Parts: sequence; structure tokens; C-alpha cells
Amino acid sequence: MVEIIPSGVFLMSAIAYAAALGLLSMGLSLTYVTTRVANFAHATIGMLGAIVMLFLIDRVYYEGASYQLFIVGPLLSFVVAGVFAMIMYLLVMKPLQDKGNDVIGLMIATFAIDIILLNILSFLLNAMTGKHLPKLYGVNIGPWDPTIQCCGLELKASNFVLPIAAVLLTLIFHLFLTKTKFGVAMRATIENPNLAAVMGVNTNLVYTVSWFVSGALAGVAGSLIAFSLKDTSPNSSALIIVSVFAGSIVGGLTSIYWGLVGGFIVGLAEKLLTSIINALYNGYFAPALGLPEIAIINYEKVMSLGLVIIVLLFAPQGLAGVDWSKLKQKILRR
Amino acid sequence: MALLEVKALNAGYGRFHILFDLDFKVEKQEILIIVGPNGSGKSTTLKAIFGIAKVYSGNIIYNEKDITRLPPHAKARIGLAYLPQTDNVFAELTVEENLRMAGYTLPPALVEERVEKVLESFPFLKSKLKDKAKSLSGGQRQLLAMAMTLIREPDLIMFDEPTAGLAPIAAKEVVEKIIWLRDELGKTIILVEQNAKLGLEIGDNALLLVSGRIAFYGKAQELLENKDLGRLYLGLAK
Amino acid sequence: MEFLIFSDTWLILLIAYIITTISLNLEAGYTGIPNFGKAVFVFMGAWAAQGIGIRLAAWIVEKQDPALAQEALEFLKNHLGQDYPSLVAAAADTDANRIVANQYIYPFLQDHPMIVAMLFIAIVLIAVGLAAIMGLIASYAALRLREEYLAILLLSFSELMVMVIFRQTESLNGGPKGLWAVKFAADNRVFAIIFGLVVVVLVYLYAEKLAHSPMGRAMRAVRDDEIAAGVYGRDVAGIRLKVIIVSSIIASLAGLVYIEANLAAQSLSFDRVYWTFFPWAFLILGGMANNKGAVLGVIVFMVLRRMIDYGLPQLAAGHSALIQMAAAYLSNILVGIIILLVLYFRPQGILPEKPSKTLDFGEILKQEEA
Repeated sequence: MVEIIPSGVFLMSAIAYAAALGLLSMGLSLTYVTTRVANFAHATIGMLGAIVMLFLIDRVYYEGASYQLFIVGPLLSFVVAGVFAMIMYLLVMKPLQDKGNDVIGLMIATFAIDIILLNILSFLLNAMTGKHLPKLYGVNIGPWDPTIQCCGLELKASNFVLPIAAVLLTLIFHLFLTKTKFGVAMRATIENPNLAAVMGVNTNLVYTVSWFVSGALAGVAGSLIAFSLKDTSPNSSALIIVSVFAGSIVGGLTSIYWGLVGGFIVGLAEKLLTSIINALYNGYFAPALGLPEIAIINYEKVMSLGLVIIVLLFAPQGLAGVDWSKLKQKILRR
Repeated sequence: MALLEVKALNAGYGRFHILFDLDFKVEKQEILIIVGPNGSGKSTTLKAIFGIAKVYSGNIIYNEKDITRLPPHAKARIGLAYLPQTDNVFAELTVEENLRMAGYTLPPALVEERVEKVLESFPFLKSKLKDKAKSLSGGQRQLLAMAMTLIREPDLIMFDEPTAGLAPIAAKEVVEKIIWLRDELGKTIILVEQNAKLGLEIGDNALLLVSGRIAFYGKAQELLENKDLGRLYLGLAK
Repeated sequence: MEFLIFSDTWLILLIAYIITTISLNLEAGYTGIPNFGKAVFVFMGAWAAQGIGIRLAAWIVEKQDPALAQEALEFLKNHLGQDYPSLVAAAADTDANRIVANQYIYPFLQDHPMIVAMLFIAIVLIAVGLAAIMGLIASYAALRLREEYLAILLLSFSELMVMVIFRQTESLNGGPKGLWAVKFAADNRVFAIIFGLVVVVLVYLYAEKLAHSPMGRAMRAVRDDEIAAGVYGRDVAGIRLKVIIVSSIIASLAGLVYIEANLAAQSLSFDRVYWTFFPWAFLILGGMANNKGAVLGVIVFMVLRRMIDYGLPQLAAGHSALIQMAAAYLSNILVGIIILLVLYFRPQGILPEKPSKTLDFGEILKQEEA
């Protein structure tokens, strides 16, 4: 008998991964709606969080698992990745935008920054020696992820903290956008930068802050997802970025909230749906029909792209472009 | 003494010269109506005064000060307001947020006070404070935009076709509010209006633009009664 | 073979990049289709000679020389302990592929020039056909999506095909390691260079002719103002479809040249950095919508890159291991910095697009709006 319903532990790790993708996709959509930059370096900026964790483990928390790590790490990653993204905007993206580069030119620029950042990080990790760790490049920090007993399950701390962090950050960001003067100005700028400027909003400051927030969210996601990665080498971002973009596109690229939802859906599809289809196929269909076994579990990225294609076919503007009230009416009428 | 004086204004966009040698004045508490066929430069006149279109030569004098080269946000600070024809409210923001955005540069306590005051004048907004602006009708949006403008308490308000695309009843309401601005609040108004008859009936003075030049400048009533100009350029019957 | 500091490896890469960049220019430069999935189209050319070509060659050997095929299977049984049902199966297997290709297929092909010629034509046709199919799939999205969506979708599509499907599914192209490709001449590198140069000349002449034809004007019209082009009776969808398919076919030839020079290349080597991002960088450096610019961009960039790759280790030689390691990473970092500098100082590239003689319809519309 093959397990089709995934175990609680697996479910939790899938939710954690989905939460990380949600945060990343939300950040990606944020810089897109404010500055029209589709940032290919976004996942690598997130890996800064993973590297912060690596250093914290090497320098401070090497002796055994510590829960403190799960507070200090994400917070520090929030700042480090946020500041990096902000500098990237001020130093590179804004000057390029002022020079009149279009969406595609800016996309290429983020590609270039991704290469630069990846190589700098890879070099530093290779060149530096750890205080405790024998090497810093390609370390698996999974062993520093303590196990929590919860609801009769043995959960990894990072899998537990990630969804909580995602909910908290989204809530805080939402309150910031709706309850603070600057947050409202940010939404106003996203909608109509000219009118906002007429009202006296410093739109450049809004853009800079949006880059900080985008990077910071990525940093937190990266710091916590690092425990589930094979290793913390910066190159891990290469495959993550595809899922992040998939999430943003499913969300529609035009809304930060839908970006979050899109990332979450893509994350769940990649982990859960793949595992369920894998179990169904290899457990039932393949033996019953005499087909060869296929390790469908290896094709999780197929799921995310498939989702993108399905969404774009039915809603070219992504989930954000769907008129939900109309859809509800339609369904209720039937 | 005139509140605003435009002298020999030449303006346009980049290489596209649109306005030629405009001369006119706006007295305090008057409504100046700008009318003319499509593409005659009505909107550009407002944009040139506010500093959005490019001024090649000429002077704009406001309160005896030359403000020709002042950037838009600086003009907003000294009492000028400009209401674009479309996209003049934040559709995704609530009515309350829109009003607060209008007072972005003012001290918070003052914003509270002015929002209260404006709501007294636009009571229908009170019940819609938490609604998104996009849920408002076209006429309500124009009134919201007007209310937002008032938060800053400007002296001179420039309207760019505020009744365009509105149903007659809504248009009437907007126009009544503009008259109210002059009579009750003592504001000075420049109104670009595509419905010439409606505009000329409420205007004190009128400016008829044809191909970026002044074809008539004088009392609005006079232009309304001028059969030739009316029939030729404004589609006024008989 | 090394002339000055430029090796034959460098020259082959240069040729493959010129072909890819000209093809990208047709799409992105002239027609405004932001193809960020170039890698998969290039890869189709390689796959035609690897996964598909080597099977085809093995099948021919089986038909033409059953004794040799039998001998090969015997050898594999003795040395690998594997029992393959046929030579085709053995040729496509990651374990046996190298032996079958090098010890049996290559020598056989060397003795049968007629078969080589036919096989070559067949593989070119397969590459072209595969690329056209991929192009057809891509165009389905290209006709429906806005610029940014399309760019991201094509990038994901390419990543998915090359990085996921071809890496995970060993039977397609040997998984991460990749299969050995069919070899058409004793000196495959010389063959690749000659073949590549012929393709470069043909493709360049074709692109130039296209750019100056009514079709070229239609392409630019679609790029500048899709709606206006439609209003003016241009078949926007048809033009985009044609351009994507033609460009995909050209790109696949670059993959074929590259694989012929290297024979055994991992599927992974066709990644987004080398086969999507670099061609974009060349194009931006050289100048969009200008074929001379596209070629010049590749040459300038590749010369710079070669000088960096050659110069840095020389500078680092004799220094500590750390500095030598830094030199390796610095090369990539400098490439990134050069691209940013180009975007900043010359967003139109070295050779900008020549202005068209008549006023663009889009421009007229803009003026009218104002």
C-alpha cells in the first residue's frame, strides 16, 4: 500500500517551503509594481539570509541547536538583505532607469548583478575559513535545525518558524501600508506616481524603501529555507528564482498580496502535488497498466511552470487580474 | 489687481509648439472659462501655468510674483491647484486615504481639521470614507478630487474638463460646486470646459482658443451672444 | 591550436555566439520579442546531434554492419557486465555511450563518407525541425502575453526543458552528463569551425536581407507599435510567428556547431547564463536592431572576456592560492560589471539602430496625442 496522503511532517515542510516562496514572490512583485524592475537577482539576495545563518552558526551558535538562532538569524538577515537590495537600487537600478533603460534593459542589469553577487559570495565563502566549521562553501546547516514536538509530530524548527514569520511579516507590512502615512503614500505612488508627486510625496524615497522591504523579505525567507536546502552555497538560488518568478506570474506581477498568494500556491504545488501525483502514479497506475516507474518527485519545477501556463491561459493578468466578485456571481447564479 | 496674469505665453511639449502669445488676466474670485475646439490648446494652457508643459517664453505672474519657472510642487505650495481631467484620485485607496494624501505635506493636526471641514462641504463623502475611490461614480470622483484640492486651501483652482463623460445631472452638480467655490469660499477659478454653453453660462470672463491663439477674450456673456464665433467654433446653435 | 591568446575553443564559442546573437537580434532587436529562453533553442541543435543523432548513427551501424554491432554488444557485456538489447539502446545509455561512440560509431562513420553526408543532412534537418517545434510552442505564448510576462515565461520554459527535464531524464540525452554526439569528420573541431563559419556567413546575409526587406519594415512596425501595425494591415501574429520560428531554427544551428566542436557536452552547459544572458549582453553591447552591431558586440565582448580570462591568471601567477582563486571569480564579476557599464553609458550599444527614413507611425500617434 502506497502512502498517498502525505505525512504531517512532510506537509509542514511543504507549507514552510510555500511560505518562503510566498515571501520571495511578494518581494519580487513589490519592486516590480514600484519601479518596473523584474529582479533576477532576487533569489540570490535571499541567499544572503542563508549566508547570515551560516556565519551565525559558525561564529556564535556552533555548539548545539539553539532557538535563539531562529530569532537573531531572520532579523539580521532582514537587515542585511534589505540593505543590499536598497544599495542595489540606489547604486545601479536607479541610475540605469534615469538613463532611460526600458524594462528589458533593467532585467538584463539584474542578471548582471546576479552574476556579480553570486561570484563575490562564492569567492568569499571559498576564501574564508570558518571559526568552527572546516569550510564555509557548500555546508549543510540542517543539523542545526532543532526538532520541536508539536501536535504529536516531530517538526523541524525552521519548518515551524517559516510560516509564522511569513504570516507575521505580511501582517506587519499590511498594517504599514494601510495604517501609516508613508505606507498610504507608498500605495498611492504604486497607483499613480505623478499624482502622488503632485501631492508632495517623495517618490524616490518610496522606491528606495520598497527595495529595502523586498530584499528584507527575501532575506528572512532565505535564512529559514536554508535549513532545508542541500547546502547553503549561493548557487542554490539558480533554481529557486524560477519558482519565485512562477509565483509572481501566477499572482499577476501587479499586486504584492497576490504575489504572496501566487508564491504560496506554486510552493504547495511543487511539493505536495508532485508528491501526491508521484504516489498515485508509481503506486497505482504504473503497476496496474504495466508502465515503467518514473521518479516524478524530481520534476517539481514542471509543476510550477505548468501552473504558470494554466493560469496565463485562463487569466493573462494572473490571479490579480481575475474579477473575483464577478466570478463569484457567475458561480452562485449557476 | 489681478491674481494671475499671463503675458505673451508661448508653450508646448518638447518640439511641439502649441500655444502662441497668450495674454490674459484672472481677477480674484472670478471664473475664467477657457473654451475652444479640440486640440486648440485648452488643457495645455493649464499645464503651462502649472509648470507641466514647457514654457518657451512669456511670463506667468501670480500675486505680483513671477512664477514662470517654478516647479509644480512649489506652485502647489503657494496656492495654485490643478485638477487633471482623469486619474485625479487614487482609485485603489479609500476616500479617507485620498483626503489624507491630499494633505501629505501638511501637519497631521491641520489635516484632521481640514478633512472635517471639507466633509462638511461634501457630506456625501462621509458615508463613503472607508470605500475605495474606484467604487465612486464619475461625478462623485470629480467631487472627491475637488475635495482633495480644497484640503490644501488653494486660492486659484484650475479645472481641466471636470464634466467630461459625466451624465447631465452629475455634470450639473459638479458645476454647482464650482460656483459654490467662488461664491462661498472666495476661490478664483480657471475652468476648461468642453460643454461651451454650460461653461459660458457660469463664467465671468471667457477665453476662446483656436489653434493655440486667442480668438476671443472678454465677458463670457458676450461670447455666448456672439453668434458667429459661437456657431463657428463652439457648436452653439443659432 | 593557439594564435595569440585566442584558442580554437574560443573561436568556436565566438562563432556559436555570433549565430545565436544574430538570431536573438531578429526577435528582440527587430521585432521586439523578448526571448529570454534562448538556451533551449540552442540546445535543440545539440540534442539533435547527441541524444537523437547518436541513436540514429547506432541504428545505421546496426543495419549496415550487423557484425560490428554484435561485436560492440559483446564487448559491452564483457567489460560493463551489461546486456543491451541493441546498439541503439547501448548508444543512448550513459554508461555505454562513450565506448559505443568512440570505439564503434566514429570509426564506422570514418569509413563511410556517403553515410556521414546523409547523416549530417538528417541531423541538420532534425535540429531545424525540433527548433521549429519549440518555436511554435513559444510563439503560442508570444502572441498572447505582454513583454515582461513573455520574457519570464520563456525563461522558465527554457530552464524547465534543459535544467529539469533533460537533467532528470537520462534516456533523453544522458542526464546531467550528456551523451556523446555524432562526429562528422576526423578532426571535429576543424569541421565545426568550417561549418560554423559557413552558417555565420549565410545567417548574416539572410538577416541583412531580411532587415532591409518589406518584411523587415513590418517587423519594426510590430515592435514600435503593435496596434498601429495592425491598423495598417500588418499581420502582427503572422509576423511574430515567422520571426520566432526562423530565429529558433538559426539558434539551433549554433547549438549544432558548439556540440560538434565539443562532442561530449553536458545538457547542463546550456544554461541561462551562457546561452540566454550572454547573447542578450552581446546584443545590448553591440546595438539592437543592427546586424553589424550584433556581430561586433559578440566580438568585442569575447575579446575582452578572453583578455580577462587570459590576463588575470597571468597576473595572479606566482601569488598565493587565494589570489589565483580570486582571479577565477573576478573574470565573471568583470563580465557583469562591463554589462552594467554598457547599459549605463551606451544603452543603444556601440552601433545604434539606424533611424528609419520615414516617421514612425507610433511617433505620429504620440505627437497627435500631445
